[in-house]
Amino acid sequence: MIQALLYKEYIKTRAAYALLAALLWGICIYLSLNVHRIAGIKGAAHLWEVAISRDAIFVQWLKFVPLIAGILAGVAQFVPEMVQKRLKLTLHLPCSCTASAGTMLTYGAAALSAIYAVDFLILNIALGKVFAEEIVSRILMTALPWHLAGVTAYLLTAWVILEPAWKVRVFNMGISALLIRLFFLSDTPEAYNRFIPILAITAAVTASFPFISVDRFKAGRE
Amino acid sequence: MTLSICHMRIHDRHSSPLVRTARCLLAVLCLLLAAWVLPWLYRFATAGKQDTPFALYSHITGGFAFAGRSGGQARYYGADGQEFSESAFDSILPFFYFRQLTADGRFPDSISGVAVTPYDVQRSNFTFRTTPQECNRKGVPLYPLLESRSGRVDLTMPDDVFRMERRMEFIDMGSNSVNEDKSRAFTSMLEKKGFAFPPSLIAGNGTARKEYDNGYMMTDAAGKLYNVRMQAGRPYVRPIAMPDGVCPAHMAVTEFRARDMLAFLFDTQGRFWVLTSEYDMMQVEIPPFYPERMSMVIIGNMFDWTIRVVADDGEHLYAVDAQTLERIGTYTFPQPEPSVAERIGKYLLPVKLTFLSAKDRDVYPRFSFFSE
Amino acid sequence: MIECENLTHYYGKRLIYENLSFRVPEGRILGLLGKNGTGKTTTINILSGFLRPRSGVCRIFGQDITSMPPQLRRDIGLLIEGHVQYTFMNISQIEKFYSRFYPGWRRDVYYDLMSMLKVAPQQQISRMSCGQRSQVALGLLMAQNPSLLILDDFSLGLDPGYRRLFIDYLRDFVKTDGKTVFLTSHIIQDMERLIDDCIIMDYGRILIQNPVASLLREYYSYTFRMENPGPIGLPGLYHPTLRKDRMEVGALMPPQAMEALLRSNGIAYSDFSGSHVPLEDVFIGLTGKY
Repeated sequence: MIQALLYKEYIKTRAAYALLAALLWGICIYLSLNVHRIAGIKGAAHLWEVAISRDAIFVQWLKFVPLIAGILAGVAQFVPEMVQKRLKLTLHLPCSCTASAGTMLTYGAAALSAIYAVDFLILNIALGKVFAEEIVSRILMTALPWHLAGVTAYLLTAWVILEPAWKVRVFNMGISALLIRLFFLSDTPEAYNRFIPILAITAAVTASFPFISVDRFKAGRE
Repeated sequence: MTLSICHMRIHDRHSSPLVRTARCLLAVLCLLLAAWVLPWLYRFATAGKQDTPFALYSHITGGFAFAGRSGGQARYYGADGQEFSESAFDSILPFFYFRQLTADGRFPDSISGVAVTPYDVQRSNFTFRTTPQECNRKGVPLYPLLESRSGRVDLTMPDDVFRMERRMEFIDMGSNSVNEDKSRAFTSMLEKKGFAFPPSLIAGNGTARKEYDNGYMMTDAAGKLYNVRMQAGRPYVRPIAMPDGVCPAHMAVTEFRARDMLAFLFDTQGRFWVLTSEYDMMQVEIPPFYPERMSMVIIGNMFDWTIRVVADDGEHLYAVDAQTLERIGTYTFPQPEPSVAERIGKYLLPVKLTFLSAKDRDVYPRFSFFSE
Repeated sequence: MIECENLTHYYGKRLIYENLSFRVPEGRILGLLGKNGTGKTTTINILSGFLRPRSGVCRIFGQDITSMPPQLRRDIGLLIEGHVQYTFMNISQIEKFYSRFYPGWRRDVYYDLMSMLKVAPQQQISRMSCGQRSQVALGLLMAQNPSLLILDDFSLGLDPGYRRLFIDYLRDFVKTDGKTVFLTSHIIQDMERLIDDCIIMDYGRILIQNPVASLLREYYSYTFRMENPGPIGLPGLYHPTLRKDRMEVGALMPPQAMEALLRSNGIAYSDFSGSHVPLEDVFIGLTGKY
């Protein structure tokens, strides 16, 4: 049954996820090539110097992209469920609503995380050719909360979209916006290193919120 | 409060334990967000800002002199309340305003019986600044080691940087590969001088925009102090004796024009030490200073230093003699009274959550209770 | 099969109904009739588990709906208003999806119906006509082979041809295997061909619950000319309407009883006629035009 649920999510979202993957990977590849290009023109030493003394991380451009991807992934997966209240079909299936909603969320979060993991792989390989591991790890650690924000935004988007009542939905949006703001409080490289475990726990906590929405949907709240 | 919100929302006996848990988590999260956003909004709505005046120790008057603003007007005055005109203010602070005095033809031939020229003043003046934010900054642990004795006036950046872990390792930036020969040469020199890897502190100014280069100050795994430089392409490692019980917590290589000092050291007991170019350690007579949570600005000249310290308990001025580093003046700025809004806010919003701090650049949750 | 007891529901402060009780016996097709706003959709939502009533209990197969084990839903087929399905799938994908959930899945039944649709197996449901989509939804229900079907406004958006097709297939399917069906429709003509029993709802209450056959037999639409035109308010008469001197009124009594009622109340009349009417007219007669 879980397999069938995953199959449905796959059919529904494969195009969207393919697009998001192309977008994210494309940007990572572009940024990597750009670093290589500048290293060719100005010399790698110049890039090292700005990385060490001026906190440059070269992938600033990527900052909000995982966030946008997370929101879009949530929209692609859950808006079709709410159009014509199609979620009723899923919830009427002979398996527990927790299992079906949980499968949907796990699918989305896992697919998104997989796309994000490739981001890190691309950056790690491409930047590792130009920079010492200290600089590469600094760049990746700086990009980590952005990607964590993406996963959190996905879960919060699910929470907002699955909520049946508009007033509560607006409230959920407000809370979501504040939560997402937490991931973007500083531009300083590695400013989040200590905070990342707590942010990861926060993300895990937000994973439980869509179940509130589903429960309210089942109770017919409007 | 948390419990009651949970309770309020769990009126639904039909909800599964997961949903009930989720509601509780949401309630807790909302409270945390409120503890973050509400004080921020409150401060935003009631904020007032006030500045402390600029202050320097005047060798001429033997006291602190202040330049502030009151009623939109510039005001110059001494600690005893004596008022100065702008030009009188220049002349009691000849080391700071020597350009103005020179331009006016008012620069004296001698001060306190010592013959001085604007050139001497310029050479001996220095400023030093340390803030918790800079002190707690985590940089990339890669450092450029400049050539200290190139024979050229202008310094140039090297093609490599070093990392210090189990050994001193130079990485060529162009090829992103380790320069084995250089790494071996420096590591073996360090080991020969008794350096125990890995280092605990590394301080230096990895830039070519300075007058000269004194390399890096490092403490090793055992807490011993070293000066490490590259001279004519070869390693120069100098162990430095410290007074008993001194354990540096933070260091800064000075590289001031006067060349009479190597570094400033702040030890674990809050003592402020000057390492002279003769490798002597001299203590600066000021109360304990901890750079990871206090900031300091020193404006120094050939006679005295004005040290401004900003700590949690307020802003302090100290003046020390440039030769002996003994304290010759102290002043504490009056603490501004908390505003009504701040006093109300303390009880209105007893719990505050912030993520940023003026003391470091980390994003991390920080709670405060009943604070203004 | 279905037992609802003392259902009470409000939307905000607006009362939908209070203490509503009804039951649907096994093997019967029950149609829920009512004007807009009488709570048809509310009832369907409660029955399909997507609305918790303020109070009251609904049981299906003897189990309280709100705490029913999910496995029991295998035996309940649900058709959502507008034949809603996963339109991002095509007909073979959707079959593959649902088949995993139902052990008694009847693949052949589904594909037999699909073969008549003349759509390519790879065509997405979103690109089908409303009528074709209704056949897909019906095919899935038939393949699921549940013993209880809950159908919300199955005629919505269908042209007469598809409506007829849908009803014929559904009737065959239900009657062959003795299924129980609870349905609503806004087209009462369709119901007449399909349902055994009907519940007619008025605002806040059930007006009547009867087998359709007996309702059609017992209900008469009467017209007569009144000698002294004026409003009449007699028990058992539904929505008397006076046009000039002609009275139109419905009643669940035969002509003799009606005439006796008029006479015993001293109402002078002439030109009396009473006749059986189709279900739609029964419905309008009982609930009024407004």
